[in-house]
Amino acid sequence: MNALASIGIVVLAMLIMASLQLVPGVFALFFHYARGKYSFKKASSLSLFFILGSEIISALFFISSFYVSYILFLNDLDPRNNVLTWIFIGVFLSLSVACFFFYYKHPHSKQDTELFISRKLARNIDARVQSAKTPSDAFAIGALSNVCELPITLPLYIVTATEIMYMHTEYFADNIMTILYILVSSIPLIYLYWRFRIGQNLATIQRSRIKDKSFSCLAISLSFFTIAILIICFRIF
Amino acid sequence: MQDYDQNKLKRELMLDARSVGIPSGAAEDFVNRSIAAATESLSNKHIITNGDLKRALTKELKKYHPDLAYVYQNRDKII
Repeated sequence: MNALASIGIVVLAMLIMASLQLVPGVFALFFHYARGKYSFKKASSLSLFFILGSEIISALFFISSFYVSYILFLNDLDPRNNVLTWIFIGVFLSLSVACFFFYYKHPHSKQDTELFISRKLARNIDARVQSAKTPSDAFAIGALSNVCELPITLPLYIVTATEIMYMHTEYFADNIMTILYILVSSIPLIYLYWRFRIGQNLATIQRSRIKDKSFSCLAISLSFFTIAILIICFRIF
Repeated sequence: MQDYDQNKLKRELMLDARSVGIPSGAAEDFVNRSIAAATESLSNKHIITNGDLKRALTKELKKYHPDLAYVYQNRDKII
């Protein structure tokens, strides 16, 4: 039962990672500007470096979080007596509410997909995306956009790493789950890349992002809430 | 307050136009006509805000290519 709860938490964390919109949004802008400035072939190859940067930094954060979670949760500490478990439950419940109301700046607007980051940061990212010329620029912007989403992803990385370490002896080798987690979080970028490759433009992609806005917001919020409930039920009681 | 830089605006619109898949010649034609029409429609105003210019240009661009107009209107509202 404990292993099933762990699988549930990891799958929900994957769902959240696949529903987050900051990195796909920056990627859509990046491909748009690159396509306007360069040939389709060069824009595609630059975009692959963006995806590589984003996935490598995501993998590094996730692998580091194994060490952090070992120190926080598994170093001879029973989760039932560990105050950090309650802190993380609080964080997940807060993120559940915060993502529902504040993940998008205007959750009910059908005009935009402005996210929780400050407007100054959004303009800064936009300027960097516009001026990107080389594969290393693309790599750095991919990494930067992933860093900007850390307020939401960091607690997820730590709790997912803890759960993977809990269950590895019972079901899966933890390296397989780690690879799977990183791959699932890259699906939105690969999907967007494929859409650009088949000839869709930023207008089509942005319209579908606006259409899916409420669903992704609800999916993120409910997943955070369910993770908190699963931790309370299976790690505390 | 900032000066209106028509060349910069044209460069940005050309980039958007190429990116949404409009061939260069047609893109230049659409952009030039739209800028001219938008400037004409705002000529009776002494002070023009960015919002005024954006609305007027979007209206003109819609006549030629709705996707280009949409991208121009919403590019800064994506993240």
